[in-house]
Amino acid sequence: MWSDQYVEDAVYEGHQEFASPYAYQPPAYNYEKHTGDPRQDMEYERQYQSTQSTFIVPDVIKNFLTYFRKCIKDQNVYGIQDAYENGFSKLTERFFKTNPWPDAEVVAPIVQNDPVFLNLYKELYYRHIYARVASGPTLDQQFESYYNYCNLFNYILNADEPVGLQLPNQWLWDIIDEFIYQFQSFSIYRCKISKKLPEEIDVLRNNPKIWNVHSVLNVLHSLVEKSNINKQLEVYASGGDPDSVAGEFGQQSLYKMLGYFSLIGLLRLHSLLGDYYQALKVLENIDFNKKNMYSRVPACQITTFYYVGFAYMMMRRYQDAIRTFSNILLYIQRTKQMFQTRVQMYDQITKMNDKMYTLLAICLVLHPIRIDESVHSQLREKFADKMLRMSKADLSEFEQNFSFACPKFLSPVPPNYEAVTVLNFHKEPFMLQCKVFIEEVSQQLLIPTIRSYLKLYTTLPIQKLAIFMEMTEDELKTHLMCFKHKMKNVVWTKGTSGLEGEFQSASEVDFYIDKDMVHIADTKVARRYGDFFIRQIHKFEEITRGLKTIQA
Amino acid sequence: MADAMRATVATLLKGIDRYNPENLSTLERYVDMQIRENTYDLEANLGVLKLYQFNPGYYQTNVTAQILMKALTNLPHTDFTLCKCLIDTVRQAEEPVFNVMKLADMLETCRFQDFWITLQKEPDVTMGVKGFEDSIRKFVCHVVGTTYQTIPFEHLTELLGGIPDSQVKSWINKYGWQLGSDGNVYITNQEDNIKTKNITEKITFDSVAAIMASHR
Repeated sequence: MWSDQYVEDAVYEGHQEFASPYAYQPPAYNYEKHTGDPRQDMEYERQYQSTQSTFIVPDVIKNFLTYFRKCIKDQNVYGIQDAYENGFSKLTERFFKTNPWPDAEVVAPIVQNDPVFLNLYKELYYRHIYARVASGPTLDQQFESYYNYCNLFNYILNADEPVGLQLPNQWLWDIIDEFIYQFQSFSIYRCKISKKLPEEIDVLRNNPKIWNVHSVLNVLHSLVEKSNINKQLEVYASGGDPDSVAGEFGQQSLYKMLGYFSLIGLLRLHSLLGDYYQALKVLENIDFNKKNMYSRVPACQITTFYYVGFAYMMMRRYQDAIRTFSNILLYIQRTKQMFQTRVQMYDQITKMNDKMYTLLAICLVLHPIRIDESVHSQLREKFADKMLRMSKADLSEFEQNFSFACPKFLSPVPPNYEAVTVLNFHKEPFMLQCKVFIEEVSQQLLIPTIRSYLKLYTTLPIQKLAIFMEMTEDELKTHLMCFKHKMKNVVWTKGTSGLEGEFQSASEVDFYIDKDMVHIADTKVARRYGDFFIRQIHKFEEITRGLKTIQA
Repeated sequence: MADAMRATVATLLKGIDRYNPENLSTLERYVDMQIRENTYDLEANLGVLKLYQFNPGYYQTNVTAQILMKALTNLPHTDFTLCKCLIDTVRQAEEPVFNVMKLADMLETCRFQDFWITLQKEPDVTMGVKGFEDSIRKFVCHVVGTTYQTIPFEHLTELLGGIPDSQVKSWINKYGWQLGSDGNVYITNQEDNIKTKNITEKITFDSVAAIMASHR
């Protein structure tokens, strides 16, 4: 029986008794389609599928599962990776585009009831339901998926010595990513109570521990601790050998990577709860300005930068936000072709890409500075209109862009099932973050207008600017101070902690007041041509190489 | 005393223990201590707000308002925003939290005169936060220091809340500014920091050496 340690620790007052997963009785499943005999079931599946399309051979799946299991059993990492990244998705496209993979019960006899394999299989099985099955997961399936994750994490965490399991980094990242995604989707589902039947609400009320925020936090914290990842990163950042402090577990790639990905998971989870300080704090041992051995999973890289950039934006550290977004957008621009073959991933990256361009546009309207030329040209192409409307103090434009590009915020607590006081309870967390953001923007709404006047002069009497702005001189002085205050951001300068930094002002237009005169300093940038030529040289080289292969 | 408390509290905030509501009373006492002794610990205060977020039943309006007041004392840092992101919109509309929100808006938009008038009219809004006014004056000096090269003495006095001349002079001394005979306060030579920049691209040989080598 799995120990409840990792979940139980998180359950505080009001949850005295811990519900073992086995205390939860899954409601009778819809077994109509199945006879209970696995062989006959397979027969049934075969017929069932062959009625839909004649060329489907379930043996393909059977063989695939047998092979997949063998790879995992033999710890053939390349085999696992191939089965995971190619085999599974290809078969999904062919057989299970919008319907679920076979139940674990059906699969069990094919794979000799291998518990570890079935655990991992179910991870894929439920993930596929969440992603592809139109009706989405039922409440039961959400619960079962949760228990499946608990089993998996307890298997890994409760072992006395490292479990001899190796999985590709991509899969490990997907596990953590999906775990948080399912928590997020459950939290949002739980809060939409107005549309629920009384029976559904009863089930939710009686199972407060499932997808509980404490359990999710606990899993991530436990993985971080078990792997000693923080110590490893600290030593790594100072040029040492991480293995020297990793410990028995942390030396194993499985634990090390799960630990690292859990830090990113915590970054995401804290951000979803509006806790930006903690979000950046958990990463304080990771040096982003250096390429590191942990960052080879692109999806993880992109997620990290998205949430870090977002947290910076909310903390009014625009310069850091802009740097973060530009870096990752450049990275995506350069590596995007690599993902073209993997449809789902490509779609996801494209979506994140659009979101981050939108956030970058917001930040640059609020804090115009120079950015990488190629990111800037993309931005001009796609976001010129939006940026113009925002700089003309259009609050609704800010709001629209924010709501498009922000994460799906959530509430850590269940709604009050007895009395719904707030109509849109599930939207509350979003409204809160949006309110904070919009209040910040409103405070600096006049700055772009002031800036546009300042740009035209090198000195400008306060009196004259006040006439332009249609306000009294005293009001104007207040706005000018506000301009300076808002443009002076904390900016990261050194060290691994993203929270540290010093006050800087890198705004393109800067000024100071001397008695009654505003003195303005503008930044004039000569056109850059180096990058342009280098890119053309590379392009030319590619074409020549292409031509050579055609000739040959 | 404060240091000892800071260390104790830091252990309460480590790892998963951060979410243990049993720590709440200690943390709330710690907030009170910060109010009385003019110390500050953002991380602990965010920990309190986090516990309120996870356990709405324990929410205390007064403690929240105190935390927000303390966050204002750390301007120009954006601690206030960080706190705000953890407080339900409904809670933000309740007194005395709402009042603190109004103060924050004035300070963030540098409407210092309005701020001091409000404070004069309703002295209770400071909720006994020790050293509150002077912390705000520090922030005022920060903003003045980045905005002005010279500022009239009377204007500076207004921004600092109409304090007696002698006190204004001690703020001037504290920041190394100079009061001229013409009644202007000379802050610093801003020309040195704020000047028009011309950015032209400089291409070093090293950065193109590789590409040149490969195309010989």
